[in-house]
This record gives sequence, structure tokens and C-alpha cells, in this order.
Amino acid sequence: MEGETRKMMKYVFKRIILVIPTFLVITMITYAIIRLAPGDFVTMKAGLHGELTRGALGKQFLEEERKLYGLDKPIIVGYFDWLWKFIRLDLGTSREDGRPVATRIAEALPVTLLLNIITILITYMISIPLGIINSIKPGGLFDRATSLILFILYSLPHFWVALLLLMFFSSSEYLNIFPLDGIISDWVEEADFLTKLADVAWHLVLPVITLTYGSFAFLSRYARANMLEVINQQYIIAARSKGLTFNRVVFLHAFRNSLVPLVTLMASLLPALLGGSVIVEKIFSIPGLGRLAFDAIFSRDIPVIMAITSFSAILTLGGIFIADLLYGVVDPRIRLEAKL
Amino acid sequence: MKSQSYWNVVWEEFRKNRLAMAALFLIAFLVAIAIFAPIIANNKPYVYIDENRNIFFPLFIDYPQFRGIDFRSDECKGIKIFPPIPYSYSEYNLEEILMPPDRRHIMGTDEKGRDLAARMIYGTRVSLLVGFIAVAIYVTIGIIIGSIAGYYGGWVDMIISRFIEMVICFPTFFLILTILALWGPSLVSVMVVIGITGWPSVARIVRGEFFKLREFDFITASRAIGARDLSIIIRHMLPNAMAPILVTASFGVASTILIESSLSFLGLGVQPPTPSWGQILSNSNQFLDIAWWMTVIPGFAIFLTITAYNLIGEGIQEAIDPQKRRLYFAHKN
Repeated sequence: MEGETRKMMKYVFKRIILVIPTFLVITMITYAIIRLAPGDFVTMKAGLHGELTRGALGKQFLEEERKLYGLDKPIIVGYFDWLWKFIRLDLGTSREDGRPVATRIAEALPVTLLLNIITILITYMISIPLGIINSIKPGGLFDRATSLILFILYSLPHFWVALLLLMFFSSSEYLNIFPLDGIISDWVEEADFLTKLADVAWHLVLPVITLTYGSFAFLSRYARANMLEVINQQYIIAARSKGLTFNRVVFLHAFRNSLVPLVTLMASLLPALLGGSVIVEKIFSIPGLGRLAFDAIFSRDIPVIMAITSFSAILTLGGIFIADLLYGVVDPRIRLEAKL
Repeated sequence: MKSQSYWNVVWEEFRKNRLAMAALFLIAFLVAIAIFAPIIANNKPYVYIDENRNIFFPLFIDYPQFRGIDFRSDECKGIKIFPPIPYSYSEYNLEEILMPPDRRHIMGTDEKGRDLAARMIYGTRVSLLVGFIAVAIYVTIGIIIGSIAGYYGGWVDMIISRFIEMVICFPTFFLILTILALWGPSLVSVMVVIGITGWPSVARIVRGEFFKLREFDFITASRAIGARDLSIIIRHMLPNAMAPILVTASFGVASTILIESSLSFLGLGVQPPTPSWGQILSNSNQFLDIAWWMTVIPGFAIFLTITAYNLIGEGIQEAIDPQKRRLYFAHKN
């Protein structure tokens, strides 16, 4: 046991050594891309007033504005300025509206989290039972039919499905059931909690469908494959030949063991979903993190872009790290050093 | 008995899979459409015989006397043989905006009165090109990096593996979005960015295959007779690792087409007047409830193409590993 803990510590240490440079490289590249791009935030801002860019006065204005936003410094210096602030948890202020970046993220994050947690829950609730049913009779009619349907679902582009849903379920021409955009109606401001909840749920139906169908196609195939692998193991055959009923073996022994990779997958699913919600949030005008990122990129709001990039990088790196650790915890046969 | 090569066996297995074969034919069909786009959709006739029985081939030869003439109008008398879609992708007619599909415009028209069928046909070029080139770039990079790691092993492999793990953590879509939004959208940048961020999956596969192959006797034998490293890699190891690479490449083309159409949908892909499927979809956003054809048709084309590539990938996967008949999905980032 002593040796196991030491191995674990060694593994954690090795991981952290890798995680930090990865984080630095990701943020550095992002910063460089923004700064090296033709034109900057200041000329964009001055562009609104036209004449401000011309003449000696214009030049002076541009210089002073650049100084204000730290754009006068070389890229390397600018990056390390940002990093030093980031380490002290100072995310800076958004250039779009002058509010702290942390506030803007704190506003957007709950929306995206709500959307993604509901999506993940529904995905798991549908795909695990489906995967098990399919694995009981592999190659059967039901298995083949669902395989094909899931395959088709997997290939459907998100944004197309979102548009079709909007077209058929929230337009005056066809069925006008669901709201077109946003996550809450204006009139519920005064209403009681339950009405508010119902209203938000109403708004989330179409976005959640859009985010769910693709990942449950992926997940139930995965659940099925895991289940098949477990069912063919020696100990399952042993349990069957001992005289245990089929149901008992499938649901008690096989199911529990097939869950292992699915649980660990969850750790890496969340960051992927955060990235994937950019388009969905854009189409449904949901004021979440993806939308914030999208708008920030277009208005060259460096502090916001950098904050979201580092946030998603930390989520991804942390997700992979936790997934690897969980693997080792739930299945001691997987040796950690084999993964390194 | 005739001995069968490995590729013959794989091909025989692949051919048994009807869905995968159908998908292969669909892609071949799309490639043909992309190549022959200018002679499928064009507003000039193949053959034009005027009243004096002079024969012209306006589509193939540029006649100075016909410049600016609309061959479809009644003023242009004579015998005319038009392509199946007698419109070019960029000509617009403001009198015929947002027309539903009918006999003249088989896929309807868009908000500028451009023929949607012509635009769809030209859009095929973008989707196929982006898929092929971006994947070709990253398969090449992946093969080079993966073979170095897999062939030499040891500390070289250690460094490369760490590097691969680093690149896998990159928020690719976000990165592409930033680059395109700030540096200006273009087809070339879409291909290059996907190309230089997509290689780790290929590199990992090549590395894994090479690790297995390294131990085989024929590799040891090649070394013993003094073959150079490069020649062993290219002539003996790579051909044996090609099948799994093809699987990844096929899934990769599917996801690249998806990324390109998403970017075009956001207005960051190919720039007008060049049409692409994602761009048509993006325009349809404003006319959702009045022009279903602008949403349904390009979206369905994207969906069909992605499905076809996924089916081909799965077909190859099953053909090289018939025991494990299970679907393999490339994990989405």
C-alpha cells in the first residue's frame, strides 16, 4: 500500500510538470495570435470616430489609448504582465464595457453550466440503458436498428439541427411552440419562482436537444462496446456457469464493471461541451460562456479572450488529469506508470 | 492458388459492406460534381446554332461577339443545348428572390435571386477540397512525427509523446475561431489551421503501429542486411501501418467538413461570392420561416457527406479487423 501511494504521488508530480508548460504554451500562443493580428482594439475604437486616427492629434490619441490598454509594450512583456496578474487571480477589466472580467464570466458561467449539466445528465440517462440493451443481443434487429439511427444522429451537424428545430418549432409558419431565443422571458421578472423555473425550462428545450443528441450517439456506442467487453470476461462466464440468472449477471456484475470507463469519460466530456456550445449559444442567443467568447473575439477584448482560454485550458487539463486518476482508483489493474 | 495481398483482402472485406460501398459511390459522385461544376451549372449553352446555321460552343470557347448576351432570353434565337442547371453560381436576379423550388429553379433561389442548385454544385468544391487538403496536411505531419517516435523509441519517443499530449489539450475550435476572426477569414487559413492542429491522433496511431512492427523479424532482417532507417520506415513499416491511418483520415475528413461548414455558418469560412454549403445555411438564418429550401438543402448535403465519410471510415475499420465488429467514432473535441 505504501508503494502504491508513492507511485500515485510520483504520477501526480509528473503530470503537474506537464500541465504547467502546456497551459503556458496555450495561453502564450493565444496571446500572440491576438497581438500579432493586423489592427488592434484601439484602432477599432478610434475607427468609430473616424477623424481620430488622422493627423498629429490622432497619433497622440492612438498612442495614449495604446498605453492605457498596455498595447504599447512588446508581446513578450505584455504576455508576462497578463500572466503575473493571472497568477494573482486578477483577470483585468473587459474593454467592451469596462467591467471586471471576473464579473462577466460569473454572469455567463452559470448559464453554460446549467445547459451542460442538464445535457450530460440526459445523455447518460438515455445512453447507458440503451447501450446495455444493445449489448444483450449484439447483432440483433434492435441493436442494428439503433446502431444505424445513432450513426445518423452522430453525423447530423449541430447548427443545422438547431436551425431546423427553430424553423419547425418556433416560427410563425410552422409550429410556434418554443421561444426563439434567450433563456428567460421578459415578463417573468415579477413572477414567482416556479413560473420562472418553468419559463427557463421552456427556453432550454431546443438548445438541450441540440447539444444532447450527438453526444448520446457517441456515448451509447461506447457503453455498448464496454458492456460487450465485460460480458466476454472470464468472471462473467464463471458467474453464469455457477448458475446465477442472466439478469443478475448482466445488471449486477457486468453493468457495474462496464461503468468504469463511462465515469471517467465524464471528466473529459465537460470541457468538450463547453467548447461545443459556442455555436448553439450563438444560434439560440443564450448569454453563456460560448457567446461571451465569440463576442470577445470579434471585439478584440483581450482580457476576456485570455480569461476564457485559460479557463477552458484548465478545465481540459484538469479533466484529463482527473480521468487518469479515476482510472487508477476504480481499476487498480491499470498501472499509472503504463500511462506515462 | 493465387496468393492475395493484404490490400486485396481488405478490399474484399470492404466490398461486402453495402452501406460503406454506397458511401464510397456517393463520395465519387460528389467528386465528379465538384470537378465538372462549371459544365453542370452554367448560363452558357454547350451548343448554340444560330439562324444562319453557324455552330458555336459558347461554354467551351469564348466568342467576342457573344459577350454580355443572355443566351436564355428569347432575343437569342436558334437551337440551344443548355447544361442541366442553366444558371451560374454568381448571377443574381432581383425579380426572382426567395423562389421555392420549381421547374426552372430545381432547388429554388436565395435572397439575391441566385439559383440555389448552381450554388450547391459549386459549394461541393469547397467542402471536398477543405476536407482533402486539411486532412492531407495533418496525416503527413502525423506520419512523420509518429514514425520518428515509433521507430526510434527511447528518449526521442518520450519527448514526442509529451509534445503530442500538449497539442491534444489545445482548444482547437477556439483557436481557429480566433485566428479567422482576427486575421481575416479565408479558405487557406481554415485548411492550414486544421492541418497543423489535427495531427496528434494520426501520430499516436502511427507510433503505436510502429511499436508493434518493430519487433517483427522482417524488420530485424532489413536492419541486418544494412537497410537505412528511412528506407525501412517508408518501404517496410509504413505500408503495414497504412490501414488504421486511412480509418482516422476518413473520420478526419468528416469532422473537417463539419468544422468548415460551422465556420462558414459563422461567417468565417469562404468569402462571397464563392459559395459554400455552410455559407448558404448561414444566409438562410434570416429567412428561416419563409425559405425552408435554403435551410434544408445545404444542411442535408453536409449531413450526407459527413455520414458517407464516417461510413467509409467504419467500413475500413471493420475490413481490417473483422472480429471486432463495433462502431468506432473519432472522438469529437
